[in-house]
Amino acid sequence: MSGGERKVKRHPRGQGWEEAGGEFYQESYPGGEAELEAMHQNPSNIATLLPSKQNRTATYSKMYDAKTTMRRRTANRTANRAQYQTTARRPSASAATAAATDVASMLPDLSENLSNEERTWEEIMQIKALPVSMAQKKEHKAKLQSQTKLRLQGLEQLKWQRRKMWQRLRRSWSEAYAKMELWRHSMKEVEGDFGTGVVAYFLFIKWLMFLNLGVCTLMVLFIVLPAVFLKPAQQFPECNLSNNFTGQGSVECCSAQYANTTSEPAENIFMQFIQGRGIVEHTQAFYGVYPNVELTLNSAAWLSYDMPLAYISLSLVFMLVSLAAIVKSAAKGFKERLVEGEGQFYQYCNIIFSGWDFCIKNEKSACIKHKAIFNEIKASIESERIEEERLTRSKEERFKLFSVRVLVNLAVFVLLIAALYLIYVVFDFSAQTQTDYIIANNTLLRLLFEFLPSLCVVGLNLVIPIILGMLVRLERYSPVLIVRITLMRTVLLRLSSLGVVLLSFYRQFNCDDPCRPEGADAKCKKPLCWETYVGQQFFKLMLVDFLSHIAVTFIVNFPRGQLAKYSHNSVVAYLGEQQFDLPKHVLDVVYIQTLCWLGSFFAPVLPLMASIIFFFMFYIKKFACLVNSKPSTIPYRASRSNSLFMAVLLLSFVVMIIPLGYTIAERTPSKSCGPFRGLPSVWSVIVRTFVSSPAWIKHVVFFFTTAGFAVPAFITLILCLYYFYAVSAANKHMVLVLKNQLVLEGRDKQFLLHRLSQIIKQQQEHHKAMRAAAQSAHMNSTDISSST
Amino acid sequence: MGNKLVTFTEEQLNDYQDCTFFTRKEILRVHKKFRELQPDLVPRTMTKDDAVHVRVARDIMERLPELRENPFKSRICEVFSSDGKGNLSFEDFLDMLSILNEHAPRDIKVYYAFKIYDFDNDQFLGPSDLQQTLRLLTQSQLLPEEMTQVCEKVVDECDVDADGRLSYMEFEHVITRAPDFLSTFHIRI
Repeated sequence: MSGGERKVKRHPRGQGWEEAGGEFYQESYPGGEAELEAMHQNPSNIATLLPSKQNRTATYSKMYDAKTTMRRRTANRTANRAQYQTTARRPSASAATAAATDVASMLPDLSENLSNEERTWEEIMQIKALPVSMAQKKEHKAKLQSQTKLRLQGLEQLKWQRRKMWQRLRRSWSEAYAKMELWRHSMKEVEGDFGTGVVAYFLFIKWLMFLNLGVCTLMVLFIVLPAVFLKPAQQFPECNLSNNFTGQGSVECCSAQYANTTSEPAENIFMQFIQGRGIVEHTQAFYGVYPNVELTLNSAAWLSYDMPLAYISLSLVFMLVSLAAIVKSAAKGFKERLVEGEGQFYQYCNIIFSGWDFCIKNEKSACIKHKAIFNEIKASIESERIEEERLTRSKEERFKLFSVRVLVNLAVFVLLIAALYLIYVVFDFSAQTQTDYIIANNTLLRLLFEFLPSLCVVGLNLVIPIILGMLVRLERYSPVLIVRITLMRTVLLRLSSLGVVLLSFYRQFNCDDPCRPEGADAKCKKPLCWETYVGQQFFKLMLVDFLSHIAVTFIVNFPRGQLAKYSHNSVVAYLGEQQFDLPKHVLDVVYIQTLCWLGSFFAPVLPLMASIIFFFMFYIKKFACLVNSKPSTIPYRASRSNSLFMAVLLLSFVVMIIPLGYTIAERTPSKSCGPFRGLPSVWSVIVRTFVSSPAWIKHVVFFFTTAGFAVPAFITLILCLYYFYAVSAANKHMVLVLKNQLVLEGRDKQFLLHRLSQIIKQQQEHHKAMRAAAQSAHMNSTDISSST
Repeated sequence: MGNKLVTFTEEQLNDYQDCTFFTRKEILRVHKKFRELQPDLVPRTMTKDDAVHVRVARDIMERLPELRENPFKSRICEVFSSDGKGNLSFEDFLDMLSILNEHAPRDIKVYYAFKIYDFDNDQFLGPSDLQQTLRLLTQSQLLPEEMTQVCEKVVDECDVDADGRLSYMEFEHVITRAPDFLSTFHIRI
């Protein structure tokens, strides 16, 4: 018997069962006299008659009845779509799983309960989720289509038509999108070899590329095209050196001075292009050339386009759109994690039921996956033992481990500080040597010094993670923790290197504008147009980073991988073998995106460049994945991967927005270039627009800041927060209570089944005894009659 | 228009679109895959009758690249075949891939996953089912006592009504907590 072997505590509640008498309510179970007979034959079969065993028929037919009654009630009014969907979301698969047994009997009685067109249409849409065979689904659809339905009238008809059209539009849109789906074949290849965890990474690259493309389109539409095609509304006053207003140090003369700077004639177009100087500097690719006045089309005064406002608004929109996209993506994963995080994590069930990745097609990968699952199961079995071991570690060992960890952390800290100092020194040095004439004459040397800062940053980003990887092994953490700690440290390195770059800019530019009436200050190294300079530096950083990825993947790792594959020497194989280290590659991509975000205010060409880079990155990483590495023995779970990407991206975004915000709010724009020349700060454009906006807008905004609104709003927010917190705490408690109740019900069931089978056995024996007695009595009477 | 070879009629495509999670293009792609398995048996134009009656035998179906390395391939074929023996017709094949599509909701995937793991078809995942699953997953590399230990642990974790095996409700509850189920129980076409 099912419950017999396990040691289950017999619940003493059974004592009251007999006393209850006939007051317990009788449910009608789908068993009849026939089944009672069967029960008598074999009492242990009682369990097979339970409603839950009948899969879902009895339990969910009730739900289905509830649905039909609801339908009856709402047949006359417009369907509340959300209500239907929420009730139908779970029961639709399950209420209609009742159809698994008999589709025809579960259909509503057509004579009594005519459903309208919309309901029928909804049901047809839900057929896909029915767990029945295709033939039955088609039958069901045919029945639904041919049944008589009420036609909708008037407004409801319109609403339903609109829904249908929207649905059809969505469907054709998804078909069109699927037709031009980029890289489907590549992703399938990667998936077949590496599983869905790694494919999530390539999907991430694709998502970033499309984000940048979208922003780039916006930029071209709203900034570049107007700057190219529209002309200033009024004429500039000319630079007149004798005049006080338009003389030396004024915006007009400084602009003229900047516009006249060209690069040395020795530089050819390619050099200019990769450094963003010369001709390229004076295009719309960089900040410098944008006009700071209103533009119109053919001097039509009524159609004016405020360039500075457009520029700053677009940068803000870019940031907001990126943030919205990240948060939306992260929220999906976060919701799921929250639900799963509640309560227990089913370790073994997870390994066994969702351990095998159904996408794997490669034999070798399948082998590795089998081994990975085996290792995971072994590790889980061992983990209890390891926990014990960890707890019983002697004091000495613990102290030794602790001191080792402290030393390693110290070493990492020192390493980071050294790296950052090096970057700072190199940036300073490179800025100084720009004015050194010896260097200036030799193009190659000058190119080297131009790119030296970027090379330094990229080089450190390559070398230090390797050292970190070696150091972390000394600390003897668990594998999951090792990955996380290394990731944190590398993120720290990258973000702080960017921070140091910005700091060196700040120190360099912390003096007055070089275009002054008194003439430029000799000690101040600030270029005429510092924003373009910053934009150029980011441009170079991105370029060098991209080239370094190409170099490392093809020139360093490809021979390593090939050596490891074809050589028989174990040392060479050990050095050459690489696994696809997902966190490192994620950081590469996130770093490029951070550079793009930081630099796009100063160089509008950067989002376009980022999209192109990501396009090629996809292929570079695909090569690194398929050719250079073999599948890792750490199973990368797709769900965890996605939340990892979004977390790192969000962190970079938040850290990046601080210097950008500071620059926009506090720094004085240069007088010679850009859409904000002459203004005290970039933010003053917004202030100016606000001040000149119509009175009602100002009234509305001022109202929001008055005490009459702000204080009640704040208090209401706090109360709402507390309310939601209380509700969620209550729900958690409810879950516990219900779970306990469920366990008790299960035990009750076992007890009752056991009792029932005992009673039936008793009855059987009683009957047997009766029959035997009757027979013997009969035999005795026949004996007597025969003997007389 | 010319001599364009039409694989399915409009009506068929509409039906399939409504009954599966595929778009038209994907349905045609599925048909191509189906045909590649046995080109001499599967016709280029599928009538309604063909779609139901032309069956690809189980051992040929298990050679499908997407199923070849899957340890549960024979069980998958069994569950989705309408004759119960693992021979799939085109509609069964389409059904199978539709369920394993990424657009299929969790409920229906859980239902079929339960059926796949239920080797003895008794509507429960008993210890024998779990052991068979383990055996297929680890290619019989675990020791017998380790296998029993793991199966016991699984039942310990999931069994709520203390009957020693997993019912559909318990399985569903566990899978709702499994973060990776939706992404691993998925075949891309």
